[in-house]
Amino acid sequence: MAKWIRWWGLGIFAVVAAILGCVWFLFVDGWVAYLIEEAGTEAVGAKVQVDAADLSLFPAGLTLTRLQVTDPKEPMTNAVEIAQVAMGLDGLNLLRRKVIVEEMLLEGVRLSTPRTSSGATRDVSPQEKESGMFSIDLPSLEVPDVKKILEQEDLETVRLIETLKADIKGEKETWEARLKDLPGKSQLAQYKERVKNLKKAKKGGVEGILGGVGEVQSLQQDIEREIESLKGAKKEFEEKVALLRTRFEQIKTAPQRDIQHLKAKYNLSPQGLANMSQTLLGGEIGSWVRQGAEWYERAKPFLEGAQAMQGKDGGPDVQKPLRGKGVDVHFKEAHPLPDFLIRHTKVSVNLALGDLAGMVHNITTDQPTLGQPTTFTFSGDQLKGVKSVSLEGVLNHVVPAQSQDQLTVQAKGYELTNLVLSKDEKWPVALTNGLGDMTINAQLQGQALTAHGGAQLRGLQLSAGQEGDTNPLTKALSSAVTDISQVVLQADVKGTLEHQDVTVSSDLDRILQNAAGKMVNDLAAKFGAELQSAISAKIAEPMKQLNANMAGFGGMAGDLTERVTQHNDVLKSLLEKSLPTKNLKLPGGLKLPF
Amino acid sequence: MIKLLAKLLRVLNSETDPGQISLGLCFAMIAGLTPLLSLHNLVVLLLVCILRVNVAAFLLGLGVFTGMAFLLDPLFHLIGLAVLTAPALEGLWTSLYQSVWWRLEYFNNSIVMGSLVFSIGLFFPVLLVSNLLIRRYRHHVLAWVQKTKIMQMLKASKLYETYETLSAWRSG
Repeated sequence: MAKWIRWWGLGIFAVVAAILGCVWFLFVDGWVAYLIEEAGTEAVGAKVQVDAADLSLFPAGLTLTRLQVTDPKEPMTNAVEIAQVAMGLDGLNLLRRKVIVEEMLLEGVRLSTPRTSSGATRDVSPQEKESGMFSIDLPSLEVPDVKKILEQEDLETVRLIETLKADIKGEKETWEARLKDLPGKSQLAQYKERVKNLKKAKKGGVEGILGGVGEVQSLQQDIEREIESLKGAKKEFEEKVALLRTRFEQIKTAPQRDIQHLKAKYNLSPQGLANMSQTLLGGEIGSWVRQGAEWYERAKPFLEGAQAMQGKDGGPDVQKPLRGKGVDVHFKEAHPLPDFLIRHTKVSVNLALGDLAGMVHNITTDQPTLGQPTTFTFSGDQLKGVKSVSLEGVLNHVVPAQSQDQLTVQAKGYELTNLVLSKDEKWPVALTNGLGDMTINAQLQGQALTAHGGAQLRGLQLSAGQEGDTNPLTKALSSAVTDISQVVLQADVKGTLEHQDVTVSSDLDRILQNAAGKMVNDLAAKFGAELQSAISAKIAEPMKQLNANMAGFGGMAGDLTERVTQHNDVLKSLLEKSLPTKNLKLPGGLKLPF
Repeated sequence: MIKLLAKLLRVLNSETDPGQISLGLCFAMIAGLTPLLSLHNLVVLLLVCILRVNVAAFLLGLGVFTGMAFLLDPLFHLIGLAVLTAPALEGLWTSLYQSVWWRLEYFNNSIVMGSLVFSIGLFFPVLLVSNLLIRRYRHHVLAWVQKTKIMQMLKASKLYETYETLSAWRSG
């Protein structure tokens, strides 16, 4: 046995193990920093950098110095920069390849800090910065040249007249042709002749009477058929004419529709003033919502974690293979824990307006396993420019299919300074000074986003318009705006993270409408009257022609009526005057059909 | 490099027991085929140190088997996955999964498990076959190799000179 054992080998093993330990100890910090940078860069889509990492074993802990997370959209800016991250690790779970942090301390968190070098990992397409450079759709105060408008515009009234004119012409031609085909004077003369002949050919006795009856019946049927045909044509004709008449009547109301359309088109409607809050603030609020949605989308995969995407049916859980790395097969754990969990995080955020202190609970990549949502609260008092601010939220992805996230933000005494509301050339608006109290509640249930924000702005100093402005409307609006000292604002956001509808309302709308609404209304009325008169003049002759054309149908109607009457007369004379059929008794109780 | 090769040649042609060389190769097979930074390789290293195993054979084998491992990874993955997902073994793996040491061993990875099963399975066959081959080499091929022109040239080389020096130190 001794031949096979070399005890001094234990010493060699100890030396080798010590060398390996030293190598690990010397390089582990760099390795940890590298791993964090790699994983972070992959997740964010831009460089994540750590100046230094310090891993301690007894007790297990990790300290990161100056963690920088580049803003993927602005590679020369860090979205977040943290001076120091310190965390205590659960050593036993670390051996089980689980990063469980009981408490983490984030100190010196700063947002939007400049970088010395670009943090881009891929080409960043230059994005247009949303700066409020939009044009306000203000009502116009110049009455457009009505004559010119009528030359250029395709008026519905004229279009309807032309169509009706063509249709009347078509109908006339059709009915002229039909009248030729319908029973007329020549047929009537033939029937009269046949009646006359019947009278002449009277025979005596039963045979003669029966023969005469048969001929009378045949003639009666022929005349009745003609009358039915004439009556049918008359009915159809009357319906067609009624329809044309209805259209003719409708044309009389078309000028009003044209006037409304032209008023809206040439901005002579006060409706634009009814939604000025939306115009001034909707874009800015929409931009904030989109930015928030973008960051949320980035964080979402980490909230739900890998396990959320797989079914948990109790059997071994095989994860997607990585080339050359094999796959990890996971088995049921007696006390399941996520692979990554930070139970409590204390955060100190250094903003330009002061320090915010916050607490985040249960940061994990696997809420379903933990069974608890991520919650956070941040607050700050007596900050520069805001009296107090608080932020609370819950990110609940415990059941990924029924995720429910909530956020509440409250700010009191927020100082608003030099806020450009409109850079419109015609009517620039800026908020020079003011104070605001605001509350925002946002909720995301699955894909459905709803948010409501309310703000009470007071002590406002607004500047609007340009010096030497001659436009009476913008002058009136500017005067109204500069008189505003307080505003109550409501904003609602509905939709999904991809597409949101922002609705903003405030008493600003009412104030502006009061200030300029009457002015715009008067102008619109004047424009309407001018248009009415011009359109009436333009369509007077075509309408006269239409009327005359419609009157032409009267002759046709009379003709049809006369034909029916004449055929009826022939039939009547046949039955009542020409044949003595009254009280005639036929053998076998037979009766004549008249 | 020359020294290592020389040492290997010396080991192969020395009086060293063929069993010690074979055992070194077999330990190298486990350490080389399985991921190097695994807990079980610490045990292998301990065994290599305290058993009278031929270290040069172990080191040479380690290089060769590590290279082979890259080619055999797909096979290891298939074996490992089959073993880890076998319903009959689920209870065993689940109980091992609760242990910190086994989790540290990373046994639930298909390549770790596959390569470990593969190398342990081949341990004794390789031990016996390599033992037999070394004996046959020494008995039948060594004398013929000594006479070949290549060997003559080799003997005149610096490598052989180093080898001779090492041998002299050992015998001295």
